[in-house]
Amino acid sequence: MNGNPVIQCRGVTIAYGRDVVLDRIDLTVPRGTLLPFVGPNGAGKTTLLKACLGLIPHQSGEILCDFGRRPPAYVPQQKQLDPIYPVSVHDLVCMGLYPERGCWGRLNSGQRARIEAVISRFGLAPHQHKHFGELSGGLRQKTLLARAVVTQAEVLVLDEPTAGLDASSEEGLLTLIRALHETEGKTILWVHHRMDQCAALARQVCRVDKHGVRLADVSEVTT
Amino acid sequence: MSLLQDAVSFTGLFPEAVVCGTVMAAVCSAFGVFVVLKRIVFISIALSEAATCGLALALVYHFSPLAGSALVTGAVVFMLTLPEKRQHLPKDVVLGTVFLLASSASVLLVAQSGFGLEEIKAMLYGDLIVSSPRDRWVLLLTGVPSLAVLLLFLRPVLYAFLDREAACVMGIRCWFWEGLFFFLLGLVVSGASKSGGALLVFCLLVVVPATALLLARRLWAVIGISVALGVLTTWAGLLTAYSADLPANPTIIGLSCLLLMGVALIRAIAVKFIARR
Repeated sequence: MNGNPVIQCRGVTIAYGRDVVLDRIDLTVPRGTLLPFVGPNGAGKTTLLKACLGLIPHQSGEILCDFGRRPPAYVPQQKQLDPIYPVSVHDLVCMGLYPERGCWGRLNSGQRARIEAVISRFGLAPHQHKHFGELSGGLRQKTLLARAVVTQAEVLVLDEPTAGLDASSEEGLLTLIRALHETEGKTILWVHHRMDQCAALARQVCRVDKHGVRLADVSEVTT
Repeated sequence: MSLLQDAVSFTGLFPEAVVCGTVMAAVCSAFGVFVVLKRIVFISIALSEAATCGLALALVYHFSPLAGSALVTGAVVFMLTLPEKRQHLPKDVVLGTVFLLASSASVLLVAQSGFGLEEIKAMLYGDLIVSSPRDRWVLLLTGVPSLAVLLLFLRPVLYAFLDREAACVMGIRCWFWEGLFFFLLGLVVSGASKSGGALLVFCLLVVVPATALLLARRLWAVIGISVALGVLTTWAGLLTAYSADLPANPTIIGLSCLLLMGVALIRAIAVKFIARR
């Protein structure tokens, strides 16, 4: 693992048509951090992360990303996946291995072992053959997180992973996220709204609001 | 015995109808699984109508029907693959307008051509019974390679449809796979429209795969069942139409819809029964 920052934004402007969401922002995200992106709705938290992932173009400025040897893993909100698709938990976790398997590659024994390990680590073993659409919100979100973890990416980007979950599912997911950061040293960037939970998990937050984007100490934001 | 005799007699009399119906049913039912999953049902009816409009254009100006339908369908596919932001209108509105324009243009073109009502009906609703060897070759040359490409690249197409953003981050070129899918769908619809007509093609793209989705839970099983149901309902429809002296295409459509309703009803009862136990 190198010491370069994961993301460096210099004078970045992002707009939807004429509507400027982020204007000439600068940001440096250090490696190995657990960094919640906080701020009011519509401030541009998700937009900023998506621009860093190359999902949204930026109008001006420079975004330099060093995600390590593997592409980053993106975890969307579980409601973004249409439950009509006939895919099981196992199928979805397998999707994470696409960069290794490509169009036609079959799972080798090492990859199978990795999938099994991730599925059991996330408590998904009893559900692995269930249809994704049959799962509760918490299990769906765990499945998407498992898909991200199986990629062995150094950087995970999570978009409001606890949105729409009940308190116990939320707690379980946050525990998993913290464990991924603490035991595996993964860089985790996530959009979140609950400042109390951010304070319990992270030392710094990335505050996104009308004044711009800046890293702030979590105590500074909560008080 | 009489049914078997009818089947043998029908196959002897209309071999092209059987081949064209089978190929069309297999290919459209497989593509339809993704049409239903991606919730682009309206796109498929707009493409079917665009293909019919292209056929009408070819009929009036005396050029190849496949070229006519491919030309108009291709133009619609190109328009659909443009990012929504560039269209300045919701996609539903664009599709609705394409559907209406293509439908009215088909009728107007054929009406101006001096052809009779029967030609207009055959153009709009199609008739498998009158399929020619040329239609068979068109279907085989457009449908079979398109289906082969879809099945060959099933994984990236599925991932691009299932979770576009995560797939893009993984390095899957989603715009390419989506564009390829729409191109192949356009080709399939163009090839099938002359024999099938807009309604039968739409039915095979929507009703049959929807039935399969009620019956299976894994993608390969859904595709397999969809293809099997498409082929079986087409054969059953052709045979029923032959035995009862009915028009073939509406009979196939009617049977497919009845099958969907039957399966949906049985499934609903089964789900309630299991929930009670």
